[in-house]
Amino acid sequence: MNDALTDPVLLAFIGGLLISTYFMFIGGFNTTQLLISSLGFAGVGIISSTYTYIIHNKMVVQGTTSFCSSEGIVQCGSVIGDPTWNNLFGIPWGIFGIASFSLLIFLSLSLYLDRHAKWAENFLNYSWVASLAGLPFVILLVAIELTQVEGAPHICPFCTVAHISLVGYVIAIYYLKKNKDTGKWIDQG
Amino acid sequence: MARRRKSLTPKGRDDDVRMIAGFAIGSILTVIMILVVIIAPPATIGPSEGELAPDFSTDAYTGASWENFRLSDTFDYEWDEGEQGEWILIQFIDTDCPYCWTEGEKMSDLYAQWSSDVEFITVAVELSISGHDSNRQEIEAFRDKTNYGTGENDGDGCNSGRNNCIDRPGTVHEWSYVEATSGIMKDWEISGTPFLAILQPDGYVAWNQYQNNGESIGDAMQRVVGGSQ
Repeated sequence: MNDALTDPVLLAFIGGLLISTYFMFIGGFNTTQLLISSLGFAGVGIISSTYTYIIHNKMVVQGTTSFCSSEGIVQCGSVIGDPTWNNLFGIPWGIFGIASFSLLIFLSLSLYLDRHAKWAENFLNYSWVASLAGLPFVILLVAIELTQVEGAPHICPFCTVAHISLVGYVIAIYYLKKNKDTGKWIDQG
Repeated sequence: MARRRKSLTPKGRDDDVRMIAGFAIGSILTVIMILVVIIAPPATIGPSEGELAPDFSTDAYTGASWENFRLSDTFDYEWDEGEQGEWILIQFIDTDCPYCWTEGEKMSDLYAQWSSDVEFITVAVELSISGHDSNRQEIEAFRDKTNYGTGENDGDGCNSGRNNCIDRPGTVHEWSYVEATSGIMKDWEISGTPFLAILQPDGYVAWNQYQNNGESIGDAMQRVVGGSQ
């Protein structure tokens, strides 16, 4: 358990989440910082999803991987390596994560580059809907980790990073929508 | 002279930044794809020869009890071609299928000849055919050749209820009988039974019955695994 939690890659992901959270709060939720925060969360999400996909491929081909522990409660071997639950319709969850966070990055980056464009409000709404749509999958995956995989309960730390990234993204977009609705879309001061 | 007042509502940029964002995410995805291919290229998974056999984790009857069984636990990932290793013969049956009923004897013969070099696994599926309802008791009875059904063609027992399972041709099967799920049938593209495949010790499909029409399993074992008289 300790091995998994002191993994330098995991610590880097946690650092990314903390920095993204920091950007959310500095400047009193101003729009620029919130957009940077949303990009940070989506960035950590896409990298952690890629990492889980790499672990998945290693587990399938080699049966094991040095990228992640396979013992204890906090581990990913039993979660990402479980043939019944590590995919949806044959597609690994990591691929879904990469595709979903790509969309979120595209939306946030477009807003960051031109928040006053005619399409900005639509893109903000798309970001909100797309990120909210991901939350049921996060709940489903956490439930699978805790109850369904072989030897459950397990917590896959890299999967959890992706889940937290999505939750952080939703919060950032929530405050962005709030700024839009209350006339604070243009940064003050 | 009145000075022109600047508009208070900021206007968007003239260029469409969505294109820039699209290129940026395209570049990120390209880097991701390259990284994945370099570090851990995805395997081609499927039942065809040369593909990695689809893994599954489900319950299996060992003769004493039902235990969790995972196909990949039987793989030797370190195995290289030409090395000694335990090959895997995987058979898909339906306990109510007449061809599977008669193949029981063939499987007993193969086991007697190859059990020291080959791990035998039978996956019991339930085809969507009227009269092919199965359950764990029937799977146990089919494997163990124990009393199940009446021996009359009344729908009760093995072979679509034509026979008592105790009369299955061949001897008691000493290997694990796996209870299939719909996911396993889909992954293995099972449309009918019996179906046989030989896996290399590292889990790659070496022989697929559908791809070798006309070659008997005995000949295939001799050709692919070799080394047995």
